[in-house]
Amino acid sequence: MTKRIRDIMHPGVITCRPDAALGQVAVMLIQQHIHALLVADRDGRPIGVISDYDLLAGEWLSGDPESLEVMRSMTAGELMSTPVDTVEADVPVHEAVLRMGEEGISRLLVLDGGQPVGVVSVSDFVAALAETAPAKRETVADVMSDAMLVCRAKTPVISAARAMTQAGWRSVLVVNAAGKPLGVVSGLDLMAFCGDDGCEDVTVSQVMHPALTIHMSASLREAADVMIEHHHHRLVVVDPDDPESMPLGILSSYDIITQMARPGSVWQS
Amino acid sequence: MSNSPIGMAEQDKSERERFENELNRIFQASNEAGLMLRVIGSLAFQMHCSQYGYLQEAMGRAYTDIDFAAYRHQTKEIKAMMAGLGYVENREVFVVSEGDRSIFDDFETGLYVDVFYDKLDFCHVIRWDGRLEVDSPTIPLAEMLLEKMQIVEINEKDVIDTIMLLMEHPLGDSDVEVINIERVAQLCSKDWGLWRTITMNLDKVEKLAQGYQQLSGEQKAHITSQVEAALARIEGEPKSLAWRLRARVGDRVKWYKEVDEVH
Repeated sequence: MTKRIRDIMHPGVITCRPDAALGQVAVMLIQQHIHALLVADRDGRPIGVISDYDLLAGEWLSGDPESLEVMRSMTAGELMSTPVDTVEADVPVHEAVLRMGEEGISRLLVLDGGQPVGVVSVSDFVAALAETAPAKRETVADVMSDAMLVCRAKTPVISAARAMTQAGWRSVLVVNAAGKPLGVVSGLDLMAFCGDDGCEDVTVSQVMHPALTIHMSASLREAADVMIEHHHHRLVVVDPDDPESMPLGILSSYDIITQMARPGSVWQS
Repeated sequence: MSNSPIGMAEQDKSERERFENELNRIFQASNEAGLMLRVIGSLAFQMHCSQYGYLQEAMGRAYTDIDFAAYRHQTKEIKAMMAGLGYVENREVFVVSEGDRSIFDDFETGLYVDVFYDKLDFCHVIRWDGRLEVDSPTIPLAEMLLEKMQIVEINEKDVIDTIMLLMEHPLGDSDVEVINIERVAQLCSKDWGLWRTITMNLDKVEKLAQGYQQLSGEQKAHITSQVEAALARIEGEPKSLAWRLRARVGDRVKWYKEVDEVH
C-alpha cells in the first residue's frame, strides 16, 4: 500500500508570532523538541518558517556588541524564510521525497483541504525509512546502534553530560586514541560521582565503568543474558577479529525493548 | 592600494614610465627566479587595457606604487629577490599582517612595492587559490574586477580602472581576455556581503561613468550594458543557504571590514 504524507507526518502545527524575539524562538524549539516553528499571523495563518539553522544567524552575526544588539532585536518575522512550502496530506511519500530533494526543502507544512494539519520533515522520512527495515531479532547486529557518542578519557564529565543531554543519549563510550574502548559513562555513573560538591574538575576516566563487550553475531538472547547477569544496560559491540579497534556499535537494553515494541515483531504478533 | 584620494593627480609621461620600467625589471627578475608574481592595482589595468589604458592619464589617474599578488609559500624567495633588486622590507607590515603582506621600499628611487600573499584582504577577502596561474603578467581579469569592486567606499581611481576594464574586455565564462563573470557570480553567490558590495559598486560605476566627459555617448552606453549584463549574471547564480539567511538580516549588520581595521 502506498504510504501517504499523513501516515508519517508530525500531527499538529506549533507556531510563534512574527514579533517573537530570536531568544524566545530558541526556548520554544528546545521545549517542544523540534527544529522549526511556523510563524503565524494574527489569524493563525502560517506566513513563514523559522528553523534552528536560521537561529544560528544570531551567533554567526553577533561578532561585536553592536551586531549583537541588532540580532537581539530581530524577530522571527524578520528572519523567517518565506513562502511556506506545503504539501497535501494525501500525497504519496515518494513524491514528497522527490520534491524535497530537488528543491532542497527540509520540511513541509501539511494541508488537508487547505487547512494546516501537521508538519513533515526530513526526520519523519528518516523515521519512516527505519521502520521499513525487515523486523529481525536474531542477532546483535540487527538491533545495535551503529552510531555512538564517544569521548576520550580526559573529557570533563560536564562536557560528557552536556553531550548526552543534547544528543538524547544515556551513555558515552570512552575510547583511547586508537578507538579502543576503555569504559562507559552512564547517567548513573554521573549521578553517583557528582554530588553536592559538583564535579567541575572530574574527567570521564574517573567515573566510567568497565565496558562489557559482545560480538555482532551474538544472539539477542545472549546479549540479554550478559546484561542481566552483570546488571548492565548496554554492551559495546566489538569486531571479533580486532577487539581493540574502534567498536562497531552499542547495544542497549532500550534497543532490545524497541525491537520488541515494533509492529510485526514476535512480541507483537 | 590606498583607499584615499591618493592616486588622482596629474602625472607626466616620464613619471609613469618610471613605474612601468621598474615593474618590468621586477617582473623579469621574478620570471628568472621562477616565482609566481602577478601584477595588481593600477599598473595591472594599464597592462591589460591596451586600447583604453589612455583613460588613466586622460582622467588624471596616477600610479602611486607597484602591487603584486603572490603565494605565501614563495615568501622567502620573493623577499630574497626584492633584496637583490635593492629593496628594503618594512618588516613591521609583514608581522602585523601575520604574513599576508610585504612592503618593500627603494629609498633611492622613492618607489615602494606591495605584495599580497594568497589573498587580498581589505573590505572582503579575495583569494588567489590557483588563480595566479591563469593569467600573466597580471592577475585574471575577474580578480581585477573583484579587486576594485570589493572596496566599500570606492573612490574615483577605482572607478576609472573599472571603466577601462569594462570598456576593453567582454564578459564571459573563461579567463582569456575575458572577464570571467561566472567566477564573480559564483563567489558572490556564496557570500552575501561580497554580493552586497560588488553589486552596489557596479551600480556606482555605471552611474559615475555617465559623468565623464572623456567618454563618448556610445562608450557610456557600453558601460551601462556591461554593468547590466554583469548584474544579471550575478543575480542569476543560485544562492547558498547561508547567503539567503544572511540576506534576511541585510544591512542591519555590517557586511564588510573597515579598511582601517586591516592596516
